[in-house]
Amino acid sequence: MPYHEFECSKCIPERIKHAVDKGKDENLSDALPLGYLNTIPGTLSERGCAYCGAKHVIGTPMKDVIHLSHGPIGCTYDTWQTKRYISDNDNFQIKYTFASDMKEKHIVFGAEKVLKNNILEAFKAFPKIKRMTIYQTCASALIGDDIKAISQEVMDEMPDVDIFVCNSPGFAGPSQSGGHHKINIAWVNDKVGQVEPTITSDFVINYVGEYNIQGDQQIMQDYFKRMGIQILSTFTGNGSYDDLRAMHRAKLNVLECARSAEYICDELRKRYGIPRMDIDGFGFKSLSGSLRKIGLFFGIEDRAEAIIEEETKRWKPELDWYAARLKGKKICLWPGGSKLWHWAHVIHEEMGLEVVSVYTKFGHQGDMEKGVSRCEVGALAIDDPNELECIEAMYKLKPDVIVTGKRPGEVAKKIRVPYVNVHAYNNGPYKGFEGWVRLARDLYNAIYSPIHQLAFVDISKDEIETDKGFMTRQMFSDTQLDESIVNSKEMHEYTGEFDSLKRLRDREYPQYPMKGKQAAV
Amino acid sequence: MPCELKEKERTGVINPIFTCQPAGAQYASIGIKDCIGIVHGGQGCVMFVRLWFSQHYKESFELASSSLHEDAAVFGGVHRVEEAVDVLLMRYPDVKIVPIITTCSTEVIGDDVDGVVTKLNEGLLKEKYAGREVHLIPIHTPSFKGSHVTGYDVAVEEIIKHFAKKDKAAKKLNLLTGWQNPGDVRTLKHLLTEMDVEANVIFDIEEFDAPLMPDGNHVAHGSTTMEDLENTGSAIGTIALNRYEVGKAAQYLENEFDIPTVIGPSPIGIRNTDTFLENVKKLTGKSIPASLVKERGIAIDAITDVAHMFLADKRVAIYGHPDLVIGLAEFCLDLEMKPVLLLLGDDNTKYGEDSRIKALQENVDYDMEIVTNADLWDLGDRLQNKGLKLDLILGHSKGRFIAMDNKVPLVRVGFPVFDRAGYHREATVGYEGAMLLAEKMANVWFTDMEYTQNKEWLLNMW
Amino acid sequence: MEMTIEAGKDTLMNYIMKNCLWQFNSRGWDRKSQNENIIGKATQILCKEETSRETLADRCYWAEAQELVNEWQCFPWLQKMNDNDIKAMMGKLKETLDYQLITNSLNEELKNPNY
Repeated sequence: MPYHEFECSKCIPERIKHAVDKGKDENLSDALPLGYLNTIPGTLSERGCAYCGAKHVIGTPMKDVIHLSHGPIGCTYDTWQTKRYISDNDNFQIKYTFASDMKEKHIVFGAEKVLKNNILEAFKAFPKIKRMTIYQTCASALIGDDIKAISQEVMDEMPDVDIFVCNSPGFAGPSQSGGHHKINIAWVNDKVGQVEPTITSDFVINYVGEYNIQGDQQIMQDYFKRMGIQILSTFTGNGSYDDLRAMHRAKLNVLECARSAEYICDELRKRYGIPRMDIDGFGFKSLSGSLRKIGLFFGIEDRAEAIIEEETKRWKPELDWYAARLKGKKICLWPGGSKLWHWAHVIHEEMGLEVVSVYTKFGHQGDMEKGVSRCEVGALAIDDPNELECIEAMYKLKPDVIVTGKRPGEVAKKIRVPYVNVHAYNNGPYKGFEGWVRLARDLYNAIYSPIHQLAFVDISKDEIETDKGFMTRQMFSDTQLDESIVNSKEMHEYTGEFDSLKRLRDREYPQYPMKGKQAAV
Repeated sequence: MPCELKEKERTGVINPIFTCQPAGAQYASIGIKDCIGIVHGGQGCVMFVRLWFSQHYKESFELASSSLHEDAAVFGGVHRVEEAVDVLLMRYPDVKIVPIITTCSTEVIGDDVDGVVTKLNEGLLKEKYAGREVHLIPIHTPSFKGSHVTGYDVAVEEIIKHFAKKDKAAKKLNLLTGWQNPGDVRTLKHLLTEMDVEANVIFDIEEFDAPLMPDGNHVAHGSTTMEDLENTGSAIGTIALNRYEVGKAAQYLENEFDIPTVIGPSPIGIRNTDTFLENVKKLTGKSIPASLVKERGIAIDAITDVAHMFLADKRVAIYGHPDLVIGLAEFCLDLEMKPVLLLLGDDNTKYGEDSRIKALQENVDYDMEIVTNADLWDLGDRLQNKGLKLDLILGHSKGRFIAMDNKVPLVRVGFPVFDRAGYHREATVGYEGAMLLAEKMANVWFTDMEYTQNKEWLLNMW
Repeated sequence: MEMTIEAGKDTLMNYIMKNCLWQFNSRGWDRKSQNENIIGKATQILCKEETSRETLADRCYWAEAQELVNEWQCFPWLQKMNDNDIKAMMGKLKETLDYQLITNSLNEELKNPNY
């Protein structure tokens, strides 16, 4: 029986098909958890809503845009300052948020007029910003305000501004994933094709499904620039509104988080013939393979190879230092969506961690297919986990560390399992070669924290070690290690800076002359 | 008039100070023991509020959702409440109290939550949960009215209405704390203990600061019991500290049970704490002991060290919950500071009738603006474009970028504070709170002096 | 090491399922064309046959296939296999991919008519 039955969920039998233990000699056609189905009410599921999927996950990382939500204040407030998607535009997108602040009278009489005032006020308050996104919420959807008509009115009156409307109320789908879908399709329908970009390279990509958490996008941008690749747009981390209107001119869509952004890639392929290439920005091996593929596509694999060689040489000894100490530690890989499969294999192969469970809050069956096929036999795969199931799983699996979001992390902490925040990251970015070492470092710091070890001591019962004034991480991690590892001259701890983006800011990139518009392909 | 009360001039909100009503009802819900609220609406209305609490406390609190999806939004979603109640009760055997909290969506579609509670009481609870005490409490908190402050006010009233009983044996003092931190509740309980007064603390949230224990899971939760709630109807008196957060419940207890009631002031600063103790004395007949005279003396001694030498004439802006903002402004005036801008973040039209605001209008001798229905752009715009000069800002973490970008140091106070560690543990109320606040303001100012080379040598000796 | 066609197919299948993402497009028709084109091109590369990469789509399939073949250099038995066996093995590989990920897949979204 591949399905995993939770004790706590025996009373809700429909849950049973949402969890699977990966069996030996079984494949995806034998067992796969259900996914992306309506949530069972009252379970304390970890899912969010379709509004946040559209606005908070995908819309707001755009850096040069006024992001306005049409509805009561809570939706705006809640999705403000709860993520770490930075930008090189002075972080305007995380500093400012806008709400039409819909009140009871608007529910009764409509809020279109108030919305228009809002739009005008917002542009007036920030006169340098000429682009806006407007998000529908449950309330404005239910009263039926025509946001698009109002936006058009403003665009007619103010020809220098452009407004994008996303109709994705909170209830539109089982989870935030409904909102990812809606904003993908709305953007490709309404905005792509409106701007003709300046092409500066023979090798032009859109970088899609990347949200620049703590600078992930900027790390990958560095590699692409070193390869002479022009990033026409990033959907959407550190992305620019007008660049994203020019997506149709790319030669290749390089896709990271297929969960949140495959729709736009599939549509761009269908409508404009731009192929979709799924990549992994995490892990030495998978990132190297990804850069090579992109290099092959453009015929510049030597440039990819040069980066891989340089970065591997620089960072591999540091990764190995951590891997030697993380080997055999059990981890629950409990992210929101894509890291379930981005990390499931490489975290085992390159850091030595045993993935004992994978879950996805809002993923679809396709995400589980990837995650389950990549993780090791024996792992417990859970779709739409709820709090009691997670606690039960943690007690049963006894992981050494959990990677998850902020609030579920606090649940883990209380049962003495340290957590690393993989939505916002502890000390990211985690993408790129250096980033992967930073993740290893953060995992190591969590697992071997001397304070964490103290949490297991019951001073009323246990013997207290009175001869110790302190412990270091290495006093825990190195005792079981082979001497050759402990004394290795090659391997060493992370030597990068607190802000790993700093050195990228003034970096000069090689200039590759263009051969011509058609030359590359 | 030097002190001007006005409404925000724009229609919309740029950088909100407040969130919406259901969030306030959820904060009330987590204050009660054996209670898990169900929020009837989209999942984000719960998921983000749980995140909000966990950002402030670095703890997780239990709240459930009816998970309203598209079909329910179109055809009605009361069946989602029925299912949610059943699933919750099946899986959480200790739960006795289930507030059912509405949101904008379920109010707009007109789901009959009161009706479904009646149906569940007569059906499911009798049939499937016979012998188990379960209280379902409908709480109407449409997001398009008021703010999380009014949502809290509404929820506390509904909860008290549900439980308060006249003929309970325990005759205690009702202490309706309003929206506080564990540090505040600890201080308030301490003051009452010193006065030998027993109280129904609504809500006792001291345990929100939950331990990490060697023997198993300790979920952070409130400690106010069903019995405490029932006792409120038999109390010898009610003190409601925060007018806008627990005024409704206090009024209800006064009207329904003839309980002598004092609403406000928030005991922020020495003077308001004195008033609080005087009110306790009046309602209970207990005297103020020497220990509190000493505690007050320590606070005044500490505050004297920083007030006239350092804090005097410092210009501050204050934003947040109205009772907090008014209390802080009053305390700042006692500290010889100049609160020049007060931002009250919701659309309550009655602030002008508040005697404390009237007193400011009558007595302030420099230019002060009080903005109602305000947002943080009322602060940012004044700083960036209108020449407002400030030495300090007092408010919660959502104003951090406006403070940083304008290079005005922000003293974190209020809710939420997620960008500093452990602030929920420190009191804002009582003598202790007054002392900590004054010292915190001074220390924040000192640090700023040092890192902006603004007379950084001053503290070379002190 | 001698490798049977069946065992070789299993090894390559495992490799793909562990390391690749291209086989997991979310719609059945896309999976079909990914499997067909990428395995097809990988077969051509392995057999040192001409591989079309004129269009952007072909180029993308080829890049995936070429990268795969490069990575498969870790399998010495593959270098020794003759073209007929390679073709037979790769045919079976595609069949297995189609079977597990399309025709017998438990993923209920594969038949959604839209993206």
